[in-house]
Amino acid sequence: MSDRITEESNSSETKELEQKQDKQKKEEEYEDEELPKLLLSDVQTLPSTPPSAVESNFAIYFALDFMKPRHDQYVYRHANGLCVIGLAPSHVAFKDEGGITSTDFNVGKSDRSGVKVTGKRKKNAQHFESNTALCKVSTKNDSYIVRCCVKGSLLEVNQQLIKQPELLNASADREGYIAIIMPKPVDWLKIKPSLVNLEEYKKLREVS
Amino acid sequence: MEQKAEEEVSNAFPPSFSSSDLKQLLHSLPSNALNHFFSLGVCVRCILRLFGIKGPIYASIDNGSVENPVDSTASNETKLCNVCLGILQFRFYDDREKRMFQKDAAYDVALLIADMVRQEGYQFDSFSLEVSIPPLILQKEASLWSYIQTKYGSEPWFQEKIHTGCVSIKDALKFSLINPLEKLLDCKSSWCPFRIRLTYTHTKASEGVAKCSDNGGSCKRRKTDESDSTGERPLSSSVENGSFDCSKLFPKSENEPCHFTYNCFRTPFYFGGRYLKYSRNVSQTCWIIDDERMGEASVEEIIGIKVLQACRGDNYKFHAAGREDIDVRMLGPGRPFILEVQNTRLVPTEQFANNIEKMINEEENKLVRVKNLKLVGSDGWNLMREGEGEKQKQYAALVWTSRPLKDEDFQQVSSLKDLKVVQRTPIRVLHRRSPLEREKIIHWMKMETVAGSSQYFLLHLCTQAGTYIKEFVHGDLGRTHPRYDKNLRLMQCLMAKMSGTHTNLLVTALF
Repeated sequence: MSDRITEESNSSETKELEQKQDKQKKEEEYEDEELPKLLLSDVQTLPSTPPSAVESNFAIYFALDFMKPRHDQYVYRHANGLCVIGLAPSHVAFKDEGGITSTDFNVGKSDRSGVKVTGKRKKNAQHFESNTALCKVSTKNDSYIVRCCVKGSLLEVNQQLIKQPELLNASADREGYIAIIMPKPVDWLKIKPSLVNLEEYKKLREVS
Repeated sequence: MEQKAEEEVSNAFPPSFSSSDLKQLLHSLPSNALNHFFSLGVCVRCILRLFGIKGPIYASIDNGSVENPVDSTASNETKLCNVCLGILQFRFYDDREKRMFQKDAAYDVALLIADMVRQEGYQFDSFSLEVSIPPLILQKEASLWSYIQTKYGSEPWFQEKIHTGCVSIKDALKFSLINPLEKLLDCKSSWCPFRIRLTYTHTKASEGVAKCSDNGGSCKRRKTDESDSTGERPLSSSVENGSFDCSKLFPKSENEPCHFTYNCFRTPFYFGGRYLKYSRNVSQTCWIIDDERMGEASVEEIIGIKVLQACRGDNYKFHAAGREDIDVRMLGPGRPFILEVQNTRLVPTEQFANNIEKMINEEENKLVRVKNLKLVGSDGWNLMREGEGEKQKQYAALVWTSRPLKDEDFQQVSSLKDLKVVQRTPIRVLHRRSPLEREKIIHWMKMETVAGSSQYFLLHLCTQAGTYIKEFVHGDLGRTHPRYDKNLRLMQCLMAKMSGTHTNLLVTALF
């Protein structure tokens, strides 16, 4: 009788062991075969030219002739409400020969590049109106004022532009962004009607 | 009649004490102190505990048969005890039944409690009794003990008792109720997750609470205090002066029974395991903004709701070792998590955990998968610590670049080891995080071709925990860039090529 019991308990032990080994084997198979397949599972539906990171993450708007003719700027608005401000490709500054040669954030009453915004609550951020000057960009013969376009708190300016103003010529729509502004929801709603979206911009400025 | 009832009760609980046994016990105690206590209006159980007596005798005594050893006609049990305010006399206002309650035996109180437990429908094989006493009574206990120490401190019998101290009200109550409860609930009492909580409250606010709550309600041996708990003139000096007024100990205004409420609950159970997320539309935790849900489901709800329903718990808390975005899949070994389930009516077992794991994995929509789901104790939290923070994390990102790839690209990327990058707070989280620069390390990278495309590739990377992967790949408008070092030129070229073009990516977390 006792033999049978030990026999049964032995076999249930081996069963457990077998189950464990089975499990391990399945896991290894998964790592070797299934996982690589899963990683490429999206490949079927890939477009030949996907939208860029900016296009995917921001709603793109333009402010045309902002306070002066041909002073075109873009406003990229993220779903979290933050707005990236920069020069649109049709901005008059790019028409000058040699393009943009220098930038200066010391405009208006303070040097915009000097302020340190800290903390989650964005302490020390300056509150600006939409027509407040952000920076001055200069070409060989002229200079132009870039403005906020959106009323809100100035979170950061693109410090890289001070040493590398040529970023504006090469990629004003990305690494050449001017500043990041955080508007209150109500202020955004006020300014939005005066902005145009990408489609309208392309039509109005005959850009491809 | 009375005799018979008393015998039945006492016969039910071994070792049984009859009323004559009780008389004998009382006679064995120092009579001067005993009579004094009786005259102070202290109930029989409080007297027994002041003399440090323990055990099931508390359960066996029938209040109706207690006699004052000196004057047998008077019984303290008809009046409210001045120390415990009826707690040990089984007199209270029942908050549940909303009526006054006055019984002679512990068994009757146990009946009330057992009925409640049965109604609540918990599965259990043991129970643990918890008692909560109002500070007012703890203060009375402390005052009385202080008084006793002063008055009888020099007597030999007290010197002996000093080692054991008196029994606290909580303990005396437990001595009274545990035996009957074990009988009624048909199981033993022990330290276990199933708790029966008895809460006594009193309408009168307490004075000078601090001193006696430190004591925790037990009047174990204390050095002779210079001040009593009311913070007034020391008791000891007033006793010596002979001017001590006993009525000060027990103000009449407080002579009301307590409110009593009782409930049962289970301490939380913890399930540990790993989860995989196959969907790019499922958040890790429940994510609702302005009454609108982001994504179609959440990992915590998919797992939590199933477990909660299976154990019949009240609610759950989901803790994961790290997190991933809603549009990032979690594959590979899976992410460790712990699910805390509160107040389960059923007792989960290993088999139970296996069944739940199966149920979750057999869901039709296959959004989430669970591995190695099991019950964990405090060791579970150690596993979680290991799962985040120090560790290196591995990812796979499906990347597109506008410039067709060359062989050198693959080699260059593979050659970069422990690359330092500086990441300014990504714009997508800048609204809720501090604007900082965080230096992170990319331990290694490997590019893998994607069949049929010269512009898509799979980027495998292993990074320091806390690295923003998406921003590393697309550069976040130049706000993520390599730290200056000898690899700079190499990486700069490469990054410039990638981000100077358009990139888009689908990230998968693995580790």
